[in-house]
Amino acid sequence: MIELYQIIAIILGLIAILYSIIRFRNGMMSVGMLLLWIIIWLIIITISLYPNDTNYLAIYTGIGRGLDFVLILGILLSFYLIFKMYNKIENIEEELTDLVRELAIQNKKSGMNNEKILKESDIENPEK
Amino acid sequence: MKIFVVVPAYNEEKTIAKVLSELIDMGFEIVVVDDGSKDHTYSIVSKIIKQKKRVTLCKHLLNRGLGGALKTGIEAALIEDPDVIVTFDADGQHDPHDILNVSKPIIDHEADVVVGKRNFEDMPRSKKFGNTVMNLITLIFYGIKVDDSQSGLRAFSRKAAEEIVINARDYGVSSEIVGEVKKQDLSLKEVPIKTIYTDYSMTKGTNTLEGLKILVKLIINMLK
Repeated sequence: MIELYQIIAIILGLIAILYSIIRFRNGMMSVGMLLLWIIIWLIIITISLYPNDTNYLAIYTGIGRGLDFVLILGILLSFYLIFKMYNKIENIEEELTDLVRELAIQNKKSGMNNEKILKESDIENPEK
Repeated sequence: MKIFVVVPAYNEEKTIAKVLSELIDMGFEIVVVDDGSKDHTYSIVSKIIKQKKRVTLCKHLLNRGLGGALKTGIEAALIEDPDVIVTFDADGQHDPHDILNVSKPIIDHEADVVVGKRNFEDMPRSKKFGNTVMNLITLIFYGIKVDDSQSGLRAFSRKAAEEIVINARDYGVSSEIVGEVKKQDLSLKEVPIKTIYTDYSMTKGTNTLEGLKILVKLIINMLK
């Protein structure tokens, strides 16, 4: 007997894999991330198809029931991904700041520099 | 002796002209960093540049925070071959005469970095709490006890300005600078300065919320 949650999880998993592949084909996802996501979603689909098999894992790890084991695993994985994302955003922010700084210094407006440029152009074009 | 004054400014159209004219009158070289202001800060400073020659203006296209702006200002000042670099808030809370007070220990080779400490007794209560918390945080996370970790008026010797690595982009930069002084084995001195509290400057800087934000950030950085 297939329960509703199994159908939902399987459909969701297939859509997610398809979405990942489309993003990869459009160059918006790296090969590593594509493989990681496909593996994660395949695990979720497998567990949804054979939920009772997770009981072996639960017994093996000492966590009471099979689905509890899956949930704990899912939460841990989610935290890991959030952490990874946080670091990535932080790196991007830093790169953005460096970029903004470089532009600011290159395009700086300065009384001192203006004076210098004027003098040099005066020398080149004395008739002005 | 070339003293460069770095003035980070974010939406300071009300005070920037007055602050700059006082600094120009005292004869300092000035680097203003407009940190992506949404008001008229940039055009006001541009106008001043047309009249006076001693001002340089760097514009951040996007707002990157106090730490980002300070680093830009210090890097821009270093190009001009300075002896002392002073950071000075644009909200009008500092007395320009204190620039000489914070620069003096550097000129006399007594210290590499000088922080102007504000008098906590005069400080309004909301500010006092935030600043006390930040001093505590600086002590816990960087292991340095200072009287005023969040002061915006600081002086760096050229050597210190070159060696200090600033990564923090927000108000956490003030603590980070204190931490870098220790890490780079530089000497730090605190000298008392005057602070002018106006209704305007009261709305800026380290209040309680900002202090809590910095704390959260520091903890996350430790876990990274």
